[in-house]
Amino acid sequence: MRIACPFCGPRENGEFSYLGDAKPKRPGPDAGEEAVYDYVYLRDNVAGEMEEFWYHGGGCRSWLKVRRNTVTHEIFSVEAAAGAGAAKAAS
Amino acid sequence: MVELDWTATTPLSRIHVAGRHGAAQGAAGVTLAELSDFELVQVMARRGQWGAVAQACAEAYGKAAPARPQAVTAQGALLVWSGPDQFLILSPRGAAVEKARTSFSGMASLSEQSDGRSLIRISGFQARDLLAKVCSLDLHPAVFPVDAAAATSIDHTAVNLWRGEDSSGEAVFFLLVFATFAESLWRTMLDSGAEYGIAIDASGAWQP
Ligand SMILES: [Zn+2]
Repeated sequence: MRIACPFCGPRENGEFSYLGDAKPKRPGPDAGEEAVYDYVYLRDNVAGEMEEFWYHGGGCRSWLKVRRNTVTHEIFSVEAAAGAGAAKAAS
Repeated sequence: MVELDWTATTPLSRIHVAGRHGAAQGAAGVTLAELSDFELVQVMARRGQWGAVAQACAEAYGKAAPARPQAVTAQGALLVWSGPDQFLILSPRGAAVEKARTSFSGMASLSEQSDGRSLIRISGFQARDLLAKVCSLDLHPAVFPVDAAAATSIDHTAVNLWRGEDSSGEAVFFLLVFATFAESLWRTMLDSGAEYGIAIDASGAWQP
């Protein structure tokens, strides 16, 4: 599997670390215990397309958001994760 | 009382042995050298400040900071892209750190890496063959021309790799690696290049 880093170009997956599902959003301070538990611990085990965070630690050290099929490893899109510090991906 | 005798050495001084290694017949396919006496500053633009940093860089070094994977030869320094909104300033030993501090004051975070990295030069007509064994990037001249740079991993070690000016018509590569990983990487390269014959140059000062 290769991931096309928007800053570095296509790289082997050994240069990246996997964080997991990019969907969970930190619940607000009043959301309650259930919502926090869900956010911290509970994950869907998706067989198919999902959005994930990957870290290009063996390269430019950027956090990336990757849309990938977990069954076929087909990658549909890669973009810089919001708030990762990067201004914009090189065109 | 114990007397401490501090002697400054380069990261590879313990195992760097000038001369011929590996295959002894014919011309050496690869030439390796450790380069020293440089100052290295990591520049990371603060959020939203990249434009200002690039401009300040142009004023101080005569060239805008690299916004894509490139090594840019500037006034008295080499500017090496190291990631989005960040780059390295490589200069001969002198007042480079102080110059960076004044040039990017208030717009970037600086981290001095002068003694934190080891700089290795890889040349010779089989340099690319050696690198092909340990590096997953395509370094063919069609896609990795002179001045191309990359942040990548070699042997699970993060490195900055770039291509300098050709020497005798052959590509020359430079590797910047964390000082404590330099010895391991050096040995890996000696093993990988043994079949080509390796000439190890005496270590010398880096020059832009
Ligand atoms: Zn990258």
